[in-house]
Amino acid sequence: MELQRREFLKLVGTAAVVSSAFGVVHVASASQQAAASPSGERVVSVMCGACGAGCGLLFVERGGRRYLLPNLEHPQPGMCGRPASALQMWSHPLRLKKPLKKVGDKFVEVDWDTALNEIAAKLKEVVERYGPESVVITRHDVHSWFLPLFQYLVGTPNLIGHEGTCHSASTAARAAVLGAGGPPIVDPDYENVSYLVLVGRNLDAAMGLVRRLAAARGRGVKIVVVDPRAPNIAFGSVEWVPIIPGTDAAFLMAMAYVIINEGLYDADFVKRYTNAPMLIKPDGTPLGGKEVGVEGDYVAWDAADNAPAPLDKAKDPVLMLSEEARQRVGGARTVWELFVERVSKYPPDVAAKITDVPADTIVRIAREFATARGVIEDGWYAAKNGNDFDTYRLILILNALVGNIDKRGGLCFQESAGFPNVCDPAGPDVVTVTGVKLPAPKAKRLDKLLYPLNTSTFDAVYEAILTGQPYPVKALFIVGTSPLQRDARYQMAVEALKKLELVVAIDIFPHDHVDYAHYVLPDLMYLEREEVATVRWTLHAAIQKSHKALDPPPGVDARHAPWMFMEIVRRAWRDRAKAVGYDERYADPHKFEEWERQLVEAALKKVADRFKVSVDDLKKALEEKGFVVLKRKSYGVRPYKTKLGTPTGRVEIYSITALKNKLDPLPDYREPLYTRPKAPDEFYLVNGKDNVVSSHFAFTPNAKYLGDRTVWMNPKDAERLGVRDGDEVELEGIDNGFKARARVRVTNRVREGVLFAHAFLGGRRSSLITERFAYLREGVNPQWFTTGKIEPVVGSAPTNSTVRVRRL
Amino acid sequence: MTRLAHLWDQSRCIACGACIAACNAANYGSSTSPNVSWNWLRTNIRRIELSNGPRPMLYLLQCQHCENPPCVTVCPTGASYKDRDGLVKMNYDLCIGCRYCMVACPYDARWFNESMWTPVKCMGEECQARIAKGEQPVCVAVCPAGARDFGDLDDPSSSISRRLANSRYVKLLDNMGTKPKYFVVVGP
Ligand code: SF4
Ligand code: SF4
Ligand code: SF4
Repeated sequence: MELQRREFLKLVGTAAVVSSAFGVVHVASASQQAAASPSGERVVSVMCGACGAGCGLLFVERGGRRYLLPNLEHPQPGMCGRPASALQMWSHPLRLKKPLKKVGDKFVEVDWDTALNEIAAKLKEVVERYGPESVVITRHDVHSWFLPLFQYLVGTPNLIGHEGTCHSASTAARAAVLGAGGPPIVDPDYENVSYLVLVGRNLDAAMGLVRRLAAARGRGVKIVVVDPRAPNIAFGSVEWVPIIPGTDAAFLMAMAYVIINEGLYDADFVKRYTNAPMLIKPDGTPLGGKEVGVEGDYVAWDAADNAPAPLDKAKDPVLMLSEEARQRVGGARTVWELFVERVSKYPPDVAAKITDVPADTIVRIAREFATARGVIEDGWYAAKNGNDFDTYRLILILNALVGNIDKRGGLCFQESAGFPNVCDPAGPDVVTVTGVKLPAPKAKRLDKLLYPLNTSTFDAVYEAILTGQPYPVKALFIVGTSPLQRDARYQMAVEALKKLELVVAIDIFPHDHVDYAHYVLPDLMYLEREEVATVRWTLHAAIQKSHKALDPPPGVDARHAPWMFMEIVRRAWRDRAKAVGYDERYADPHKFEEWERQLVEAALKKVADRFKVSVDDLKKALEEKGFVVLKRKSYGVRPYKTKLGTPTGRVEIYSITALKNKLDPLPDYREPLYTRPKAPDEFYLVNGKDNVVSSHFAFTPNAKYLGDRTVWMNPKDAERLGVRDGDEVELEGIDNGFKARARVRVTNRVREGVLFAHAFLGGRRSSLITERFAYLREGVNPQWFTTGKIEPVVGSAPTNSTVRVRRL
Repeated sequence: MTRLAHLWDQSRCIACGACIAACNAANYGSSTSPNVSWNWLRTNIRRIELSNGPRPMLYLLQCQHCENPPCVTVCPTGASYKDRDGLVKMNYDLCIGCRYCMVACPYDARWFNESMWTPVKCMGEECQARIAKGEQPVCVAVCPAGARDFGDLDDPSSSISRRLANSRYVKLLDNMGTKPKYFVVVGP
């Protein structure tokens, strides 16, 4: 491949030689500055706080230069474009600098004492009038370790995170099928994979995964990316499968069809470690041992004895019953029979019509995946179409069909570092990491009442604020998260925020919701504070310490959010603060660090006990290297030696958890929760993230260029509609009528019939955004167009939608 | 001889932007002033997408450290020069800001830095300081995808030489006689 000069110049645009309006400025060259302070080198280990992945980084200061590098010794090293812009974030002109109080419709600066006293007084009043459950706290990842302490000191059950528009569906699937938890707990063993399928996952984080995958790519391992848009990773050598949005489950069903019909599955694994042999009665419930005179809650047919046997005791469990056997178990069927029947609805040609992926492509990928004993990634940012629980259950089941669970190169369970929570429920109480008992809240978490299998569903809170049901919500703390960029009920959220008696926004930047806050408190960014945490996104058990690298820049009077929480509690309820050893001695933010360290120390003590090492050794390693690996991954443990956390202890193809929650126990392809496009000017609007910006890094001046605020349209659609690259169009939500304008980028990175916009980037509306940063208002926030319908039981709110496009 | 060169692996790059932004942080002090020449941030790496072909394609472009550099040929003062390590460098004390080099570069790899009133390009000063200490340039050091390398082409044991020996690669505008040393790997 050789680029000719003309094409090349077209490609890069000709060099515009601009005569500058700036005068001559003499700056000492940086090498001179470095020479002036030759020994001025400082290296600090930090945990990246730019997204939830928490990659290991090094902050480097040499002479006058400051930048971040990946910490290559760390078990999960960074880094991507976000932390590379961290210094721009640190000194950003739009950083929240002083506590703000809303007076009329304007913000005025107030001192910390005023802000904290007034918030504490109002919080106390709300709790006394409406009960502690009327206080809700929401977060993303930042401060997620500390926040439960604040929550239980206030006495509310309602610490409700961002997961309803993130990983609630995939986490519910991991719980139902594998009995496992959140996204990093189960993950492909990237460096050893033999074949990798990414369904709607773009590896925009964590970068340690990308590094480990690079090793596999060096061996020529194939990567398949199933996504309506080509994510950044699809620029490289991958097979991109541009599927119709919301139809992943049909694609996966057809993969299962091929794998089963061609006998490419691992029959031994399926029999021994999944509940495929389990007998299900005609009413859909499992046949109990008592009903056929054997032990246990679950039964299989044992070919060795030609009789029913407890599921785990059958020597030769069968996947298909003979008619004679079936009669002897009251007409029951095996899970395998039911699953095969379900899958038979989706032969590749039927799935091809639903997904617009050619049948031979589905067949080929299914064969390649199964014969290579590959792995399908199990989902992180999963709230897309409102049928996602099924998609992720199928992904997990397919990994099990090829027997690739917890094996080298398979879908593996992370070794637990056992880093304790700051508070945990213990019997009727809640106990802190330092052993203090706190009363457990009496009310139930309000989103859990509606979505029992969710991680959290914050969209349910807006409804509660407006209706007062199941109980009144009057105060809201928004901590390091941007609900109006994040949640799927944008208009309802705006109305709800206006109705609250107390809204406190704790953040670094003016996200949209800040305008609706009564008080705005400036937080520290991750380079300015210390934190000890589990290393996520590695299969090893490890903990890390992020060190403070910088103080806030001059003029930024930011404070550590945990200090704010404890000061609010102390000012509202002195006795409650006292109960956890907190009093006015710690009101000084430096003294507070001492108090916070004793919590961390108690947590480290538990880790040390668990791994039989000394706390001092742990602390020393955390100081010197920034991390400690406590246990390296050992393969082949779950479900082989240890049972899974599912009701049957096995991989559940037929989910007892789903059944108990009145969901279909088998996965299926279901329609998405939004209206599909029908007319030629109607499109799916899909969204996603990438490794260049996040909700916070969207603010950096680098993100003006690196972030993409356009709406992508396929060249064929653009030609059909007469839209050119850079044209402005109007988008109108088909389900909600919301209208907004955006510029179109005509690109082959999105399939026909689909538009793509980045989440958390475009359409910023805070009144605190100054003219210099007016470009932050460009583009659309994909959440403007979403239906706000929520996936039942698992509480995942789809962030994709459909829109009508009008040329302007 | 020493011939230092850059490698960028198009088949492995995940377009994360770390190299682009890290170049800005390390070499330009995280400057938030615009790079007017490129309508871009102050970094020595540009990002070019080809979005009309059969599949999405990305190019990251920067100084090619040509063995036959037209920017050096046209420089009237000797400010642009080719060093003994094979890198094309700038002596800012000699630069008069005429920008002939910017026009001469067929890769558009130079931009005008209004704060210094000279054209600038890869390598920036921090990267030069790093390689003098035996470290990798910043863009190579940050890359999470193993998509970058830097080293001596004349040393067959250098990682860049070994990688090139086992890869298919292209050189950009190789027909123009510039003898570029920025290797774009397209696959194993
Ligand atoms: S993926 Fe990028 S932003 Fe996220 S933690 Fe890692 S380096 Fe930071
Ligand atoms: S070598 Fe240094 S100056 Fe050159 S592009 Fe890379 S980071 Fe920028
Ligand atoms: S750092 Fe590496 S992966 Fe990221 S954009 Fe640069 S070359 Fe590509």
